[in-house]
Amino acid sequence: MNCEVCSLKELEVEYFEIREVLRCILHTIVFHRALGLVRPKDIDSELFEITYVQCGDAELEKKVEEKINQFIGWVEKHPNKKSQICLSFYEVKSKQPTWFSNKPERVYWEQWHINLNVQHPKALTIKSHHSKVVVDPGVSALEERTVRRAALEASLREVLFQIIKFVNEKKDHIPPIPNIEGVTFPYEITLPSSSDSSFGMDMFKRMLQTGHPGMLS
Amino acid sequence: MGTSSEPAKIEQIITEFFAKSLHIILESRTQPCSSSRNNYSGEQILLSSPSSSSSSSSSVRPRDKWFNLALRECPASLENLELWHQSNLEPMVVDVLLFQRGPVNFHDDGAEMMKKDKVIERWVVKYETRKSGRDFGHGGNKRNPPSATSHSLYKKSIILLRSLYLTVRLLPAHKLFHELNSSGQILAYGLAHRVSTLVAPFTRREEVEMKEFVFTPVDTTCGRLCLSVLYSPALSDVNSEPSTPVSPQFIPDYVGSPTTDRLKSFPSLPLARFRSHEIPSSVPFERRHSWSYDSYGSSAPPVSGFPSPAYSDSRGFSYNPSSHRLPPLSIPSHQSETPGSSNASLATRNTNVDDFWPSPMPSPTPSPSPPAHLKSKALLRSGSAPVSIPTTGNPALRNIHVATPSPPRAKMGPSQSSNGRNLTRAGDVNSALKYEKMNSFGKDEVGNIYGAKASSGISSRISFSRSSSRFSSQDMFDYSDFACPFAVGDDITDPRPGPDLSDGKAHHTEPRAQVRKSQDAAVGALVEMLSTAPPLRQDISKSIKLSQVSKPEIWGRSTEEPAVTLDSETGGLSNSSCNVNITSSGLLLSKTTADALEEFQSYRQIKESLLLRNGNDGTSTNAGHASETADKS
Repeated sequence: MNCEVCSLKELEVEYFEIREVLRCILHTIVFHRALGLVRPKDIDSELFEITYVQCGDAELEKKVEEKINQFIGWVEKHPNKKSQICLSFYEVKSKQPTWFSNKPERVYWEQWHINLNVQHPKALTIKSHHSKVVVDPGVSALEERTVRRAALEASLREVLFQIIKFVNEKKDHIPPIPNIEGVTFPYEITLPSSSDSSFGMDMFKRMLQTGHPGMLS
Repeated sequence: MGTSSEPAKIEQIITEFFAKSLHIILESRTQPCSSSRNNYSGEQILLSSPSSSSSSSSSVRPRDKWFNLALRECPASLENLELWHQSNLEPMVVDVLLFQRGPVNFHDDGAEMMKKDKVIERWVVKYETRKSGRDFGHGGNKRNPPSATSHSLYKKSIILLRSLYLTVRLLPAHKLFHELNSSGQILAYGLAHRVSTLVAPFTRREEVEMKEFVFTPVDTTCGRLCLSVLYSPALSDVNSEPSTPVSPQFIPDYVGSPTTDRLKSFPSLPLARFRSHEIPSSVPFERRHSWSYDSYGSSAPPVSGFPSPAYSDSRGFSYNPSSHRLPPLSIPSHQSETPGSSNASLATRNTNVDDFWPSPMPSPTPSPSPPAHLKSKALLRSGSAPVSIPTTGNPALRNIHVATPSPPRAKMGPSQSSNGRNLTRAGDVNSALKYEKMNSFGKDEVGNIYGAKASSGISSRISFSRSSSRFSSQDMFDYSDFACPFAVGDDITDPRPGPDLSDGKAHHTEPRAQVRKSQDAAVGALVEMLSTAPPLRQDISKSIKLSQVSKPEIWGRSTEEPAVTLDSETGGLSNSSCNVNITSSGLLLSKTTADALEEFQSYRQIKESLLLRNGNDGTSTNAGHASETADKS
């Protein structure tokens, strides 16, 4: 089974914006992968003029919040870094017997890479030209922030549409709808681990695993 | 007709897809949904119709199971679906219109007032059938048949509808809807919608302004399901208009001000929240989780100060004037209207089906019956469509629905009968079958939704009751208006007992209308009844008894103008005599002899004038009538 990967456009966010941005993105993706009976819940973002949708599944919301908290914790320790969060969907295959492992195996069929560039306010004020808006030197910080916020909102909207487009274009790799236990397909959210280098390695391993189940364990 | 065949399943999925997408769109663009949402708080009782109040429960309705997406109740979508969508072969075009209200805010720039309605979103859902082979350019060629089975189609349409659900909320129009919904005041604009099978062409300028988002179509064995939206990306200017009178500087004062009456009526409403709706465009950082399912119950409703009809009226309303409704009179008429890009025109679609089946079938279905089924269905539908919608009842019906809150009247006979009319109103057997299929489908669990389920009498009964619950309130009005006008005006002096009402109505509706309108006419009717009572001379006591039933003052007046009605009143002899029997059996006594004598005198006057008239014009039917009474006497 092929594993589709969608790498989302990088967003430049401030520290305090991480939570809302991730909520929007994660829930939007998961909503598209929650093919069980869903009673959608509209959520108006607290920060942006964006309404996103949750599946109305408490457990899922809890897990997403947990992961976001973990990520924010990670960002605190690693400021000013580009970081990636990976949301993966997998199927559990327990039938393949291998010599050295008999635990159920995860076959990944889709991965979403959420790319964030977390900036600190100071850094931002220095290089505020990213939004290509010509700003008077005399404008207040507030106004600048408003402009920046609007730009981020537009980018976030763009990312959400990117998700929608991807989801509609790539449909053939989706496994059959599982017998409904949770609302969604099984998923996991991977954060950059504490040691930076191992994150990429981790992903690499995972991909290998997906390609050749049983060879790596 | 087995529902198990693959084409039938596919067709049903497509039908449901139309319904669901309409529901999704209208749910977040029309106001009635929000009124039902207000019911959660219990403050908008007047607007609650039986159907919408049930939507607050978390129970899963059959419709929710389709595509595993439970939506809020949206009466507008159901209505529109019934009215517009007759066939899967016709596109469904949902226009969302922005209309500007008149001078709500009295500011000087009169140029902005009374702007015309503007289409800000145009959703097009259509099912394009394939001619022969796969000539759809991109992607279609490498798809092998298994990927286009009903299972796969269902799964893909689930995803497509999820996307639609999100997209509806991401487009600029949703912001307007959101503000309309959450602010407690009447804004200077509103949203309306229009569902049709036609595309009213945009002007060049509009076309340039609109942006398009096309969802990737979902392929089926014999066509593809397409969904796209044209939307105007810049609504912010419209948006800021109503809030211009209040500049952002005033916000803090406004919030703190105790002079605002509106705030007093919402003691539970957080002020900051209210402010954010008051001047939506100027407060970008504050938004609340306004109207999600769960959170709504706990948060105070933003609207409670307005009488509900005004409220529902002031916001979006169902914008379906009859002029816009063009029931499918002929298929070629749509052809010119469909977007030019689609190569499969509607005119040729029926033949498309014909073309398709003889050709090598990509579908694995071996039996010859599915083609026949599909073909006949398509033909039948399009053929029977013109008959389907009577235009008389429905607009009025909807008006009533909007203007008056539906009272909690129990379902009675009328609702059942008019309900039957609803089914037959759809005109063709197919729609009824569709109902059946929907419901037999809906009852199944998700897993075995494809299981063959022969629609039995049970399912049809369920469908019946379902639709009765859907239409009951409206039909009640319908009925009371047209079939039983007297029930409304109880206080009108109409001394005649019940049975004669219905009987008399059958004979002469014209005088009955007069009865309803004027007292004089009522008196005339009374006179008629009396005059046609046979035993005048022999059985005087009986006639006196009869007159006791009526009110004396009316009686007195009636002597002055008996001639008015005597001409027109003929027949009905047996009915009134029957009445006499009924009435004379009760209500005797309690009158003096003088009263009786007086009444008798006046009665005799009438009698004589009657006889006189009859004698005068021998040609009229009254002559026969007179002879009849003469025979009796």
